[in-house]
Amino acid sequence: MQEPFFLPSWPPSVENFFWYGALLLSAGIAGELVERWTRQPRMMGWVLAGILLGPHVTGAIDVSALAGMSSLIHLAMGVLLFELGQRVDLSWLRSNPKLLGTSALESGLAFALMFLVIQLFGKPPLVAAVAAAIGVSTSPAVVLAITQDQRAQGQVTERLLLLTALNSIYAYITVNILIAPLATEYRGDLVTILGHPAYLVFGSLAFAAIMARSTLEILRLLGRREETQFLAIIAMLIVAVWISIALRLSVPLALLGFGTMMRTFDRGRHFVWLNFGRLGRIFLILLFSSTAAYLDFTFVPAGIGIGLAIVVARFVGKTAGVFALARPSGLPYRKAWFLSLGLMPKSALAIILVNQTAMLYPEFRPLMATVMMSAILILEFAAAPIMQLALIYSKEAFEEGKN
Amino acid sequence: MPTVLEFKESEMFSMGVELELQLVNTRDHNLTAAAPDLLAIVKEKAHTGDIKPEITQSMIEVSTGIHKTHRSLLAELRSIRTLLVTEARVLNVGVSGGGAHPFQHWSERRISDRPRARHVSGLYGYLAKQFTVFGQHIHIGCAKGDDALFLLHSMARYMPQLIALSAGSPYYQGVDTAFDSSRLNSVFAFPLSGRAPFVLHWNEFEAYFERMRTAGIVESMKDFYWDVRPKPEYGTIEIRVCDTPLTVDRAATLTAYVQGLCRWLLSQGPRDVTEEIYLAYTYNRFQACRFGLEGEFVDVATGMRRTIAEDILATTETVRRALGNEAALYEVEEIVSNGNEARWMREQYAVNRSLPDLMWRQVLRFRGEEGKT
Repeated sequence: MQEPFFLPSWPPSVENFFWYGALLLSAGIAGELVERWTRQPRMMGWVLAGILLGPHVTGAIDVSALAGMSSLIHLAMGVLLFELGQRVDLSWLRSNPKLLGTSALESGLAFALMFLVIQLFGKPPLVAAVAAAIGVSTSPAVVLAITQDQRAQGQVTERLLLLTALNSIYAYITVNILIAPLATEYRGDLVTILGHPAYLVFGSLAFAAIMARSTLEILRLLGRREETQFLAIIAMLIVAVWISIALRLSVPLALLGFGTMMRTFDRGRHFVWLNFGRLGRIFLILLFSSTAAYLDFTFVPAGIGIGLAIVVARFVGKTAGVFALARPSGLPYRKAWFLSLGLMPKSALAIILVNQTAMLYPEFRPLMATVMMSAILILEFAAAPIMQLALIYSKEAFEEGKN
Repeated sequence: MPTVLEFKESEMFSMGVELELQLVNTRDHNLTAAAPDLLAIVKEKAHTGDIKPEITQSMIEVSTGIHKTHRSLLAELRSIRTLLVTEARVLNVGVSGGGAHPFQHWSERRISDRPRARHVSGLYGYLAKQFTVFGQHIHIGCAKGDDALFLLHSMARYMPQLIALSAGSPYYQGVDTAFDSSRLNSVFAFPLSGRAPFVLHWNEFEAYFERMRTAGIVESMKDFYWDVRPKPEYGTIEIRVCDTPLTVDRAATLTAYVQGLCRWLLSQGPRDVTEEIYLAYTYNRFQACRFGLEGEFVDVATGMRRTIAEDILATTETVRRALGNEAALYEVEEIVSNGNEARWMREQYAVNRSLPDLMWRQVLRFRGEEGKT
């Protein structure tokens, strides 16, 4: 008998939208379960759902489905980095310049130590440099998710957000610059070597500046009503993400720059502070769960030693940087500990950064993965709960019924 | 027999000020729980006066030492202001005056981590968080408890003036309340608010306090939330109706005005104070909170009615004739002609129709950087 034409073939073919829904729902449920049973950050559940559904475990969401979601991941990442950027008040660095010193020290020392340690494991200097540069950044996604979940307020929280935005900017810029020696090694023409990093860094920042100026102009005309501004910002974010993809700029650098410049250029305070609220939450969940699908445990056996070494080097570097200027910058040592622990998180978003670099030079990919995958996995699961505890013990988290 | 509530003698008409101040973030200018961090760094700097936590973590209270003159009080207030503003900038926190935050939501406030705050929160529940309002407390020194009680009750007649002159909480929880001072409505919710019992001799007051204490209603004078209360351990009366002004200069003006009033009341003012002074008290108080300087003042004894502004101008004239031309009197008259803080706030809000923007203008005004928007 002929199959009825009105029934779908099995398994039914579904478009990407289905996967967004499936991932969002399972990650949402997993997040609630983790919170309820273990009192750990919900984002651990989002990550677990992504890993379980991803191509490396059950394969429910396979590589092609993941590839189909990449535009959404870009948008989610854009919204997230913009949100972090607009929370950062660069004028604070002017009234407290020692914070800029703290930022330079924690990033610089962490970079130097990771760079040394990776070379001690016999990896080439270029791999060590790219990996260390990626390691400099604290996960913006984890920091935003947990500070929001905990409704944290205080110096640990504020400095965590500021330092995270800054070290992410350093990391994106450094990785882009390191493309120059990469090109020297794998391709070698002078235009690529000098032109590409310059285009990525200056192009992305110039684009961010143009977007910030024009958005502020639009907001000035629209007025300060929050709903109107929210709509305009979301629209401009979609535009910004797709233009920077089309122009082959660095999406993270452009969007983080966009957010930061919006706040910095806004002398007339036309930009009301936006809480991305539930929409931001949806983007965060999708970002965590979909990027987690990229986490690949097969690299762990070969990389666990170097992974642990990177984690330790990174912690030592960041902690030394935070403590060096803690007192002069107005932070008691007790809180400096919490800030250092808070700077630990790293998420699978870093993998995207690795993949983007690797995509240009495929030879580079397996090398980077062995070095970074274990470190990222360790931090993805260990650092977020530690950061949450740091906020609770520093008494900056809002505890229902207690304060 | 040792007295239960000894009134410590202090120099007559000496004065001191406490100001409750708001701590806001620089992002959306909402209140932020910055008090523990700010107090930790301020503690390490040499300063006069006292800087303390308050009921919730987005408030701090500063207090001055004891002063005889307007000039020295102003100098100390300015130096405390400069210290606070400098240290707050290190932490990226804004400090502001004003009787209430214009758009904070009380449920988001955090009770301070100290025994007194936890006690008040445990007893009063949500009222404690709603008590995130900001007042100026004026202390006037008295030699004897009887003088304190005489001044406390005589000053009742002038409470509407002080409320109207300082009123600076027109916006509350995101709306224009139509009041010039909405703050005092938050105080009213407490069962022990209102006014002190009408007694004029310190031993009678002690007896009253002792009865309340043995009945288990209060433990200390702190439990009374009266508009004016005696503070026997300082040897002062404490006037608590003023909203915290937007500048320390105005806080000094109001204090010096009260000092002048007390001096006049005790030297040349009416000597016979009767409970009749309270007949129209809550009516006049409401008029002052609601309408500010344009509110109506009724004197039940004489049947006189006039605006609070007119009443102030008549008072400054009388005091000036008795005590000479003091700067505070002139400055008070200036407030009457230029409007109070509530009027300034409504004008500033009108510029951009944004409460966060208004809040930032208040921060700049407190810093003395107005105009640098």
